[in-house]
Amino acid sequence: MRIITHSCPACGTIVAANELENNRVMKCPGLGCQEVLRFEELPEDAREHFLENRDRYQI
Amino acid sequence: MKGVLLSGGTGSRLRPITHTGPKQLVPVANKPVLEYAIDDLKEAGITEIGVILGNKGRDEIQELLGDGSKYGVDITYIVQGNPLGLAHAAGCARDFVGDDNFVMYLGDNILKSGVTDLVESFEAGDYGAGIALQEVENPQAFGIADVDDAGNVTELIEKPDDPPTNLALIGMYVFSPAVFDAIDDLEPSWRGELEITDAIQSLLEDGYEIDSHVVTGWWKDTGKPEDILEANRLVLEDTELNTAGVVEDGAETDGRIELADSSVIEDGAVVRGPASIAENTTIKSGTYVGPYTSIGANSTLEEIHIENSVVIGDSEITANGRIVDSLLGRNANVESADGLLPEGRRLVVGENSQLKL
Repeated sequence: MRIITHSCPACGTIVAANELENNRVMKCPGLGCQEVLRFEELPEDAREHFLENRDRYQI
Repeated sequence: MKGVLLSGGTGSRLRPITHTGPKQLVPVANKPVLEYAIDDLKEAGITEIGVILGNKGRDEIQELLGDGSKYGVDITYIVQGNPLGLAHAAGCARDFVGDDNFVMYLGDNILKSGVTDLVESFEAGDYGAGIALQEVENPQAFGIADVDDAGNVTELIEKPDDPPTNLALIGMYVFSPAVFDAIDDLEPSWRGELEITDAIQSLLEDGYEIDSHVVTGWWKDTGKPEDILEANRLVLEDTELNTAGVVEDGAETDGRIELADSSVIEDGAVVRGPASIAENTTIKSGTYVGPYTSIGANSTLEEIHIENSVVIGDSEITANGRIVDSLLGRNANVESADGLLPEGRRLVVGENSQLKL
């Protein structure tokens, strides 16, 4: 199963795609970081793969 | 070599303690379980650590560990979100790990011997992975490894009816970056998770050698209240304890006692170690603190007899009674009902609490 992540450009916190997709737009979960992270910031192929297999990233 | 420290999970078996915080921050001998893992990784020479966060307790864990500088390590946080399995957690660390090898350490586990020997054993060969094993009396209840004469793993079997060995996987692993391709090829198991044992099995099938290291000292998964108490007992038994606080004349102490310099054992109190008493705590007259007890910070004990127990902290325990084999959460208070009418115990008990009266 392809695991997709995104790194916050401000603090380096790494966020799994399932977390990003849940929120679409979210404040970086790094403590004290004010960066806004967006699911749309993932590469297009990663977004498409995630959305096509969305059920597998849920529990 | 890097470290990946798993700090997710719901802590459901530790409720109600984990209603208000992650299980990895429950203290053992007045030190959060997670800090033992950081110490072990650092002792093994690992100073770049990725901490995997789940859906619970993210802020508390980040507040405790910070950027790692107070421990002499460099911490990167990795938010896994949904608990999709250990292999998913490892996969989330791919960008952090890069081309390095890495130790994967379950953050709610404590083991006496640390991970240095596991790392050295892995680095002595050309392995795809290394796994820590421990001999157990009931192998049917564990994931079991079969190993050859050279100590290489030949097969992993989950809870076998007819176990080939009594060597159980204990949740400490070393991986080469090859594991990430194995994880990419995994499918979720029947429980919807990516299983780390499936990733190791895949490495085996791809021809990688898997090292094994049998851990001889104690190891505890601190997932349940009784495990916290046992881990507390084991750590107090093994740790050097220093009495820095005030032991008043007329107080009776015996055995090894950790007493923070801001804490007091007052005249008329009895403390028998091994025991740990954290900062700003007072053990008042008439109190007995027995062996294998840890009392957290900012607490006051008066009249109570307590032993083989963990008080997490910020507690007032002033009843005239006996508390044994107990785990008391932060801000839990136990007062006397003497003189109150009607007679009887008065309880405010949270969900999932367990009381034996």
